[in-house]
Amino acid sequence: MSSLLETNKLTIHFGGLAAVNEVDFTIDQGETVGLIGPNGSGKTTFFNLLTGIYKPTGGEIRYCGKNMVGLPTFKIAKQGVARTFQNNRLFLNLSVLDNVLIGMHPQQDSNWFDAIFRRSYVEREIEQGVEKGLELLSQFSEGLLTNCYQRAGDLPQADRRKVEICRALASNPKLLLLDEPSAGMSPAETEELMEDIRKVRQKVGEIGIIIIEHDMAVIRKVADRVIVLNYGRKIAEGTFHEISDNELVLEAYLGREEKDAQA
Amino acid sequence: MLPRTIGRAVILLAVEAFFFILFAAFMKTDETGKVIAFLLFFIGLGVMFKKWEKARLTLTGLFKELKIVAGAGFVAMLLTLPFIFQASPYLIHICVMAGLFAILALGLNFQLGSTNVVNFATAASYGIGAYASALLAVHFHISFWLGLLVGGSLASIFGLLLGIPCMKTKDYYLSLVTIAFGLIVYILLNNFSWTGGPNGIPNIPPPSLFGHSFKEPLSLFGYQLPFQSNYYYLIFLLVGGSLFVAHRLHHSRVGLTWNAIREDEIAARCHGIDVTWYKILAFCIDAFFGGVAGTVYSHYIGFISPENFAFIVSVVVVTMVILGGMDNVFGVIIGAILLTILPEKFRAFEDFRVLIYGLIVVTMLMFRPQGLFPQKMRIYKK
Ligand SMILES: Nc1ncnc2c1ncn2[C@@H]1O[C@H](COP(=O)(O)OP(=O)(O)OP(=O)(O)O)[C@@H](O)[C@H]1O
Ligand SMILES: [Mg+2]
Repeated sequence: MSSLLETNKLTIHFGGLAAVNEVDFTIDQGETVGLIGPNGSGKTTFFNLLTGIYKPTGGEIRYCGKNMVGLPTFKIAKQGVARTFQNNRLFLNLSVLDNVLIGMHPQQDSNWFDAIFRRSYVEREIEQGVEKGLELLSQFSEGLLTNCYQRAGDLPQADRRKVEICRALASNPKLLLLDEPSAGMSPAETEELMEDIRKVRQKVGEIGIIIIEHDMAVIRKVADRVIVLNYGRKIAEGTFHEISDNELVLEAYLGREEKDAQA
Repeated sequence: MLPRTIGRAVILLAVEAFFFILFAAFMKTDETGKVIAFLLFFIGLGVMFKKWEKARLTLTGLFKELKIVAGAGFVAMLLTLPFIFQASPYLIHICVMAGLFAILALGLNFQLGSTNVVNFATAASYGIGAYASALLAVHFHISFWLGLLVGGSLASIFGLLLGIPCMKTKDYYLSLVTIAFGLIVYILLNNFSWTGGPNGIPNIPPPSLFGHSFKEPLSLFGYQLPFQSNYYYLIFLLVGGSLFVAHRLHHSRVGLTWNAIREDEIAARCHGIDVTWYKILAFCIDAFFGGVAGTVYSHYIGFISPENFAFIVSVVVVTMVILGGMDNVFGVIIGAILLTILPEKFRAFEDFRVLIYGLIVVTMLMFRPQGLFPQKMRIYKK
């Protein structure tokens, strides 16, 4: 059986800087892989490569056995790769529910002609979308369900992250990329987030999740396997226990902790 | 329960009638002093409406509850306008122009309001529609009604042609491409011999319907209405149709997708949205509206020249959308009406017109970027 996603010596250079450097990576269906590394080690850039926002300068990306390099972002998304963003990119002036509805774009198919002349078709599509959207929101939080017509930009940080995850899940993705979902959350909110991720895995058994996190408690709890990047290179791979004893990893992180201590 | 509803309907219609009479009276004044007094009164009403929450909630509740009555009352009153202005065809003319600009602004709203594509080429699609149907009518005796469709479609094709190079650029650069396109169309109209060059096209025949020429006065219920009334009712229907289309698009997957692109293009892409295609679609639909408006204009005035489709027309339409409210179809129409009527009322300040448009845009963007009537959240029944 081929893996869900596989990269082969994936590389991108920005000028002289190799932000992602010959990274080999695989993830299977139903697996959750943690992606960690110090600031600037290329984690977000790796996601941007997978989603087609950047074109790699070298290497391969295979998704469900097909080569994805060179495909535009929207086509990759249509094939079932959904993501959230480190800096949270909700559609701020739209309602919570509209945000989730936009997540369903890849499966819906009504066009401008339908919108004007085939109203019943469009209305059915909207109705089904709303039903599904409300169900998704209700799984994450009752509060979001009751405030589903609130402007997304008026939500507190933790709720925004939840809506972003709902929006990503709305497309029934096969691969979900989460970029620091716990950033800006309190410990209690982080706890809740981990519970949410567990629920997603339970509900959609075959979904693959790659999660970038600085919070090691989260990684330990949700990741089946961890990959460590440093200066764009993969320096270690294994279970959380294996990598937490790894010399190279400690070195990469100690440097960072020293910096943090000074700051 | 029924008597109570009837009572509420009467109140609602009385409110509408009050505003309608106010509007008619405003249209009929032409002294600058009185016009300003009227405007201050309107602004005062607006402020009061905003401050006095109880009145606002009661009124909006009334309108929401009796949507159909409100709509019917509104339509009925608008239909009587030509009778009220029977003695002053000029006022009906202003209303026709307001309607034309409402169509242009509704079209541009798909781009500027829904998608945040700042297109300064409205005048080009307006002009292409006008010239196409005028040439067809003058040389080939094609009827206005067919010309309406051809004008719209041809403008739409040009919208597509403009959209494609625009997709290579973004933001300000995209606006620059649209400005250039508008100028090219303007210069070509000025220089081709078959468009009549700077002299334009004279003697464009008026439309006729069931043997009734639109150049003839309109007899209705024993009243003789000036010929502009024909166009008034035509425009009334066309604005209604545009509103219908705009509303349906807004409340559909397409409208939502446009909004997603406006809010965050990268996030939109990551959710499977083909941003390029949806922007081009907005270009085409916008241009269709422009072409339709242009067709009506050329047959109405009977004479067109490149001057009618200069850059300033695009600027005016952009201002209308920004003033009225981005992606609020009602607001966009109000913006179009305001900016058509006010310059007519302030003829004395004609020379400062462009300056005033600039001031309006800057003031709105600084203090109320969402426009007089901001976009409302879509509410789904459930
Ligand atoms: N578009 C770009 N152009 C030039 N350099 C870039 C670009 N995007 C990222 N980089 C550089 O690539 C390196 C990796 O950045 P990236 O954002 O992937 O790090 P990260 O691991 O996500 O860090 P963090 O933990 O802070 O989010 C950084 O040095 C960054 O400055
Ligand atoms: Mg990052």
